[in-house]
Amino acid sequence: MAEPQPYESALDAIPGAHPYPRSSRYHDAEVGIHTQPDGTAVRYVKRRLLPPLGEADEDIATHTVSSGERPDHLGQRYFGDPAAWWRIADANPVLDPRELTAEPGEEIALPDGFPGGGGRFGR
Amino acid sequence: MADEPVGQGPIHLELRMGPKLTRPVPPEVTEALLSAQITTTAGERSGFQMAFDLTKKGAIIDRLLPEGFFDPRTRVIVTAAVKGTPIVLLDGLIVRHEIGASNQPGQTTLTVTGEDLTLLMDLEERTDRYPNLPPFKRVSRVLSKYTDYGIEADVIEEKILQPPNAQRRVDYQTGTDLQYVTDLAQANGYVFYLIPGPVAGVSTAYWGPEKRIGTPQHALSVNMDVNSTVDQLTFAYDGTAREEPQARWQDPATRTSTLLAQPDISPLRPPLGKRATPALKRKTLSGTAKKDRAQAEAEALARAAVSADAISGSGSLDVNRHGYILQPRQLVGVRGAGRTYDGDYYVKSVTHHLRPGSFQQNFTLTREGLIARSDTVRP
Repeated sequence: MAEPQPYESALDAIPGAHPYPRSSRYHDAEVGIHTQPDGTAVRYVKRRLLPPLGEADEDIATHTVSSGERPDHLGQRYFGDPAAWWRIADANPVLDPRELTAEPGEEIALPDGFPGGGGRFGR
Repeated sequence: MADEPVGQGPIHLELRMGPKLTRPVPPEVTEALLSAQITTTAGERSGFQMAFDLTKKGAIIDRLLPEGFFDPRTRVIVTAAVKGTPIVLLDGLIVRHEIGASNQPGQTTLTVTGEDLTLLMDLEERTDRYPNLPPFKRVSRVLSKYTDYGIEADVIEEKILQPPNAQRRVDYQTGTDLQYVTDLAQANGYVFYLIPGPVAGVSTAYWGPEKRIGTPQHALSVNMDVNSTVDQLTFAYDGTAREEPQARWQDPATRTSTLLAQPDISPLRPPLGKRATPALKRKTLSGTAKKDRAQAEAEALARAAVSADAISGSGSLDVNRHGYILQPRQLVGVRGAGRTYDGDYYVKSVTHHLRPGSFQQNFTLTREGLIARSDTVRP
């Protein structure tokens, strides 16, 4: 349980103060502060761990890659936002997002039914 | 695009229900959902109403209703995702349900009504004493009882510190926890509400000043031809809304009573308009003479701050056209309403109207003065 904070810092944790918007994959990443030897504090985003992959479910939705497709095409098609391709990359263990659509005919997994419904926050 | 069942559009809805731990509802329930209406207000309890189609011999009437799936105190969580970004709209409990049986086929409906999780705090009256605890510590102690529903407390120390002294005064709670916490918030010019999210099953109980600072949400555009995102927007300017509280306080040692100075409300409510509304009314607060000086000052401040919002706006928007879900209790910009009424506003309340194929929002905005402080709003 969070401790009560003083009034002066009450408005620090303001909505929208996070450097990344809600649709970004770094929105939930923790912001750390690194103090350099000369004492200046530098804010940085801590490493984002990929959410655990769901158990190989048989009824998980898949997409068959056709030639010429790119990850952002899939983002637009399934989420209505080309910038949301990273949700599909998260659901498939790939190192480089371009690997997702590199081979036409390959089946790739789509995030579980509802975007963000499960797994994404490691809960 | 007639491809995969992952989504038919950019907006997805997820409904979770269960006694305390929720899980996604069976597909029969999702298919039967006719409409959902969710109201969220700063400083007040949120409520919801959902209507389901009740087909004869359907799963709901045959199995789920008798099993108690829609019984009172069942927890409901509604999550909406716009363009793949999930936002928890509601975390609440069912209070009542109604069945409208009709002779017309397809007109029989089940209506479920409920409130957000603060209902839990309003169920039981208790008396409790809090010796030597300032208001914010009393609030955190009350809130710590509700962690098993995933409620985390976010409590801010009060603006005018009221150091307690058990030798002179011990504060008592009578009534429900919610009443007590809300009363304490009002006495300090604060608000108390529950923020659902960021993930299903978790929510934050916030006790502190209204958050009228920070990056505003994407601006509402009105009267801008094809670029308008808001269907209609009405502004009202109530000159008598703002009042100047007069609080007298008596020094117990010397028996002299003094009129307290007018409090400065700008730390509690950073001004959003350039031309502040003058206070037309003078209101004498009763009962402040016998309180502690800090308590009397806090009450005068709370009264001055709460009455400061003279300008209110209301309107409706279509989420599909706007592209974002308007969130309550945050700032938002308005453009296209003219020099006087453009600028940033605090979103006081939002009502979500969801039905298959449409997502409408009604909202109310407030601020304390006319004319925008800056030339630009966040697009």
